Amino acid sequence: MLVSWWYLYLGAQSLYRHGKTDACLRFKCRLIGDERERYVRDRVYVGHVFVHISGGVSLLNMASVLQKLITPLFSGPVEPPRNKVTVVGVGQVGMACAVSILLRDLVDELALVDVIEDKLKGEMMDLQHGSLFLKTPKIVSGKDYSVTANSRIVVVTAGVRQQEGESRLNLVQRNVNIFKHIIPQIVRHSPNCILIVVSNPVDVLTYVTWKLSGLPKHRVIGSGTNLDSARFRYLMAERLGIHPSSFNGWILGEHGDSSVPVWSGTNVAGVSLQKLNPEIGKDTDRENWKETHKKVVDSAYEVIRLKGYTNWAIGLSVADLTESLMKNLNRVHPVSTMVKGMYGIGDEVYLSLPCVLNSAGVGSVINMTLTSDEVSQLKKSADMLWHIQKDLKDL
Amino acid sequence: MASTKEKLIAHVSKEEPAGPTNKVTVVGVGMVGMAAAISILLKDLTDELALVDVMEDKLKGEAMDLQHGSLFLKTHKIVADKDYSVTANSKVVVVTAGARQQEGESRLNLVQRNVNIFKFIIPNIIKYSPNCILLVVSNPVDILTYVAWKLSGLPRNRVIGSGTNLDSARFRYLMGEKLGIHPSSCHGWVIGEHGDSSVPVWSGVNVAGVSLQGLNPDMGTEKDKEDWKSVHKMVVDSAYEVIKLKGYTSWAIGMSVADLCESILKNLRKCHPVSALVKGMHGVNDEVFLSVPCILGNSGLTDVVHMTLKPDEEKQLVKSAETLWGVQKELTL
Repeated sequence: MLVSWWYLYLGAQSLYRHGKTDACLRFKCRLIGDERERYVRDRVYVGHVFVHISGGVSLLNMASVLQKLITPLFSGPVEPPRNKVTVVGVGQVGMACAVSILLRDLVDELALVDVIEDKLKGEMMDLQHGSLFLKTPKIVSGKDYSVTANSRIVVVTAGVRQQEGESRLNLVQRNVNIFKHIIPQIVRHSPNCILIVVSNPVDVLTYVTWKLSGLPKHRVIGSGTNLDSARFRYLMAERLGIHPSSFNGWILGEHGDSSVPVWSGTNVAGVSLQKLNPEIGKDTDRENWKETHKKVVDSAYEVIRLKGYTNWAIGLSVADLTESLMKNLNRVHPVSTMVKGMYGIGDEVYLSLPCVLNSAGVGSVINMTLTSDEVSQLKKSADMLWHIQKDLKDL
Repeated sequence: MASTKEKLIAHVSKEEPAGPTNKVTVVGVGMVGMAAAISILLKDLTDELALVDVMEDKLKGEAMDLQHGSLFLKTHKIVADKDYSVTANSKVVVVTAGARQQEGESRLNLVQRNVNIFKFIIPNIIKYSPNCILLVVSNPVDILTYVAWKLSGLPRNRVIGSGTNLDSARFRYLMGEKLGIHPSSCHGWVIGEHGDSSVPVWSGVNVAGVSLQGLNPDMGTEKDKEDWKSVHKMVVDSAYEVIKLKGYTSWAIGMSVADLCESILKNLRKCHPVSALVKGMHGVNDEVFLSVPCILGNSGLTDVVHMTLKPDEEKQLVKSAETLWGVQKELTL
């Protein structure tokens, strides 16, 4: 600190000698301390020096509040973020994912990307204004994918949404074209990331993402039936009067109309519901439990009909997946993964199976004991997905 | 023949299950209401959440969407209806209903539109939750908190306006950005009217108790070379800017509402800048609500911290009070 004052004095002196009067100088000086250099990141301090002819250097009214308040002890280059997540697409789903992730304290940096620049900036500002209530010190956004660099997880929600009554499969080619622009850029800036694909039709688009990214298959996940299973557990638990987390039940396969409820696995405290009611899930079941699965399938359409879109539930489910990946939990989630070679499926398709998620992505897949009927449903979905995928252009 | 449920579960308790202990109602399921709802849910503040609105489809859709996330939450009951009976026994009722600011529209222009809406809402809330604490968010918040107080007949400690809680949060965020410190370690209070004429109390701005004005006596004045005054200006302009960019603001106000609800529901007795009845304080003689630092707990707003204000800061508060009273006395309640 003293040395810098000395330099300023010398500077002022030389100006005085050159006859400059009432000179107001602004020059940049780095804080230099004795033998060690002290920088505060790239900060540069501006000093105003007023030199008066009346002799004697007077007012050195320098030091900003920041300088007076804070003594830096260390600063090297800025450390890269350790737990960064990028959300691509700031529509209702993307923002619900972003807010859920922020409110669960999962990240030290959040990046938002979209093509609509005003909306993007507005959403970023709105989240930044809540920083006091969060533990995520850096929230950035930009149309340019450089803001996404060094992400551990990238959540892709970009794309057009289902219209009322439109099935997920109809969205395909529209969204493939968008992904051709998005995916390579993501991978360029975060080559080691894990991609979570949310956009619909999720199973097809996860396949598309995997192809376009060139990433190994365990690093590309589709949100898949994570949400369907959550809805299933909620509806089943309501019927039984317990909390959803105490009801265990898995919906696998294709996210949407042909998802497969694995009735053999449904249980509370290990007590299999199918053992208590062997007809469960069949048309002959007098209690009509099958209806609950139907309600799960219809849920999305129903909520879209009522409010125009769904967002909160999918946002919460994505935050749940993010938590397992970030914290290396090895929890099991029903997510969309590459299933070629399992259950007699010969095509490269993505379907939801119970996957063990950790910080490398999909660590392993649980081998579900499925009835032959359930296996044939999976195979049928796989065939249908491959039928669409094989006609997609430019992958 | 026993159902699956009967075979699985044996009911043993002879008691009726107790009612909700921490119920929160959100009135209005627009962007602000839903942001408040999701923030409250993700902070695990409540055991029951009720949503009310007049648009029935939207209301039902929002409730279903939140219910579908129940697996990931710790709020077991989420209900919604146009009828206020679903709001019964709420501890806190967050009122976000009303028309929103259009681009460029000032908060005061919204007044009469929102007063008429409140005349329907407030009595219905009180009917079903006579002991609740009302938290008013709709703009212009200071006037509408007064309106809610008058229409509800509740004592003054049970009617709170979200006020400058958000302005202060924005101020602390911008201050944090300027200093490279987390907002929670940057202390600064913005009080008075929520909006264009809010008052930043420069004398209180500090980090670790070190007064920034002590380090920079020109802080907040025109002479200040570091132009800290523009930090406050940015706070005032924030809302307009975000509205211009994305059409509305939601996330920040939602989180700030959850922050207030937390203090109330958990009886924290934390100090927040919220809108309270300030007649008799700081030279204000009218029955108006302005934001001052208040202690919030489960009885609501129990105490007010008396700030040491400069004469021109007090003058600003008095002036805001006069403007607000000028509008309030013309209202038909």
